[in-house]
Amino acid sequence: MSVVGKQLNPVQSSNAAAVATSSSSAGGGSSSSSSGVEANGGSGGSAGAAASGGLGVSNDSKRPAEPSSVSPDEVLHLTKITDDYLCSANANVFEIDFTRFKIRDLESGAVLFEIAKPPSEQYPDGLSVEETMLAAAEELSLEDTADPNAGRYVRYQFTPAFLNLKTVGATVEFTVGSQPVNNFRMIERHFFRDRLLKTFDFEFGYCIPYSKNTCEHIYEFPNLPPDLVAEMISSPFETRSDSFYFVENRLVMHNKADYAYDGGIIV
Amino acid sequence: MGFLTVLKKMRQKEKEMRILLLGLDNAGKTTILKRFNGEPIDTISPTLGFNIKTLEHNGYTLNMWDVGGQKSLRSYWRNYFECTDGLVWVVDSADRMRLESCGQELQVLLQEERLAGATLLVLCNKQDLPGALSSNEIKEILHLEEITTHHWLVAGVSAVTGEKLLSSMDWLIDDIAKRIFTLD
Repeated sequence: MSVVGKQLNPVQSSNAAAVATSSSSAGGGSSSSSSGVEANGGSGGSAGAAASGGLGVSNDSKRPAEPSSVSPDEVLHLTKITDDYLCSANANVFEIDFTRFKIRDLESGAVLFEIAKPPSEQYPDGLSVEETMLAAAEELSLEDTADPNAGRYVRYQFTPAFLNLKTVGATVEFTVGSQPVNNFRMIERHFFRDRLLKTFDFEFGYCIPYSKNTCEHIYEFPNLPPDLVAEMISSPFETRSDSFYFVENRLVMHNKADYAYDGGIIV
Repeated sequence: MGFLTVLKKMRQKEKEMRILLLGLDNAGKTTILKRFNGEPIDTISPTLGFNIKTLEHNGYTLNMWDVGGQKSLRSYWRNYFECTDGLVWVVDSADRMRLESCGQELQVLLQEERLAGATLLVLCNKQDLPGALSSNEIKEILHLEEITTHHWLVAGVSAVTGEKLLSSMDWLIDDIAKRIFTLD
């Protein structure tokens, strides 16, 4: 029988600019210039990647015909945001699915930004792995949504205060499908125009089949010169990021995000 | 030895440590991880995979891995052994019924070759609970005194109150630092 992992709808990844309503003085928002690690809200382009649960790997005609040939090294040397996605939305044969993004300010403890899939669409908490597997096995996969890039792009709108944060924790939560995932690696590149603000390169390594995993990067906000900050604030959505996800050095997901920091400014 | 030396030197540059939190289910691994990182601990559900935190602490980059402890997940622990500098074994001090299997699981880990170089920190968690055994009692039951293969420390802690958590983790980090960053 073909076990199909749950095919979830993207997090609210649409353009609905996520204006965070934070209780802290540091307005909302997700990533910044340099942060944003997990700033891209999409469900990692899982649309259409219905992996077969059996041993066979290739009985799915929707498998990408041309595997992406982009290497981790290449994306680490990119000097700007890519013009296009470097892999197709259905390259995600491992059903890796992002279910939550969260940003918190460690100084105040405030959660500045959080988006998650509705719990009904996630694996229920508190079940054993076996129960979860059963539950997943009973799910049918949904067909692709109309827009294959839905869920691969998210737009964030923050207030200027976001750029003044000192220490930030960026959490991503994701589930994987029926197959174990080896050498799972995330590389994220943040640019303001053609200026590289920050690179994240993290190796998750192995992921257990049907697991739900989280990763929080806690980091010091980089010290940006004031004139750069001013420019970033006055140039909404020219701060952008590419997130590349590799499994065994093969690109399986590519998400994009852009950022504005002029929220709350009255022109 | 040559290879190890090279590895250690590479790590030295980055000042990076990999710390693995393991233990039976419901021991409090995730709660400890969250408490250590200043996150709320009121809504924690069983871990069905891993939780990673990367952070700067005392000048080091810590990569902390908390892997679910349910019985069905324990066979996957091995996938996370590689390059581990510190093993944190978390014990539910009030779960007397399962202390024996807790000890057995720990013994298995101590024989694991890929954990041979790791410092061991045994955290006797839930010291705030009335029925909790002391860290001394747990040291006896788990036969910790017999461990000669690893640097180790046992400490009674409470993830809820934060008692002794930070000082224990600092011991772990210091011990690792002495071992791997003081070559040359």
